[in-house]
Amino acid sequence: MLELNDLEHDALIEIFNIGTGQAAAVLSQMMGDHIELSVPAVCFVSRLTAASELTADAGKRICGVSQRFQGAFNADAILMFPENQSLEIVRLLVGGDIPLDELTAMEQEALSEIGNIILNALIGTLANLLGWEFSCSLPIYHFGTSGEILHTEAKPETDLVMLLHIGLRLERHQINGYVAFLLDLSSLQGLREGIGRFLGGITG
Amino acid sequence: MNKTLLIVDDSRVSRMMIRNLVAERKPGWQIIEAASGEEAITQTVENMPDCVTMDINMPGMDGLTAAAQIKKTCPKVRIVLLSANIQESSLLRARQIGVDFVAKPITAASIDKVIAYCERP
Repeated sequence: MLELNDLEHDALIEIFNIGTGQAAAVLSQMMGDHIELSVPAVCFVSRLTAASELTADAGKRICGVSQRFQGAFNADAILMFPENQSLEIVRLLVGGDIPLDELTAMEQEALSEIGNIILNALIGTLANLLGWEFSCSLPIYHFGTSGEILHTEAKPETDLVMLLHIGLRLERHQINGYVAFLLDLSSLQGLREGIGRFLGGITG
Repeated sequence: MNKTLLIVDDSRVSRMMIRNLVAERKPGWQIIEAASGEEAITQTVENMPDCVTMDINMPGMDGLTAAAQIKKTCPKVRIVLLSANIQESSLLRARQIGVDFVAKPITAASIDKVIAYCERP
């Protein structure tokens, strides 16, 4: 398997730290709350294991928005929130004056737009930092367990991906979410070349 | 002077947020909407808006393509790309076709920028 050495691993974490910081700044503007971020974690796992890494309770239902990014490497980017907090997120986005039935009616669309903005902020920052260009699919709304969202039922245990995930928390509203990137291992060489250019820019 | 603004975004929530923020600031403006690039072109030809806010990533024709076509046929229409796609390559294309760019999220500050672009002499 193509592994990253320590320096490449550190650079990858730093690149995603910068990108996630930008995405958190955007989310903070949208939600009017401070966003706490966890340290990004990266691992090479099967999709099945990735699903269990993302939530302490793999059977718990969550709302997610995913987009496929294609360019120097291909990745699925996913923003996830617990099911019971999704309406509160929509309310924070559109304001408090909307009746509950209308809020519920626009839940999927509002979460898709939040995902679109956050995931584009992250991938756009990475692209600008590394001189890459990505095309992105339209956001897709998901509802289910993390396993269902990552389509683990359709993938064998040996289908390895690079999982990079970051926890986020809206401080005042106590809402927890995750941003995750899943890269097919076939895309790892492209990522590694980008990391090499990033490191070359630092070390001259 | 009151203007006609065309909001182009496939997200109904985004259109609603843009509409509300613009209406608060410019109650005299007429606001119309389109949910795709194709619809934006039709609406522009039929209604000749003064200004268009255009999302980039939409089903069917994307916002950059639609903006370029509108600039060709209706060069006086002012177009502001209002998008989450902050890649420099997108900003470069916006400059190439002669349109402005404002990054989402849709906030009071980003809509103030859109209005300033629309009202620029």
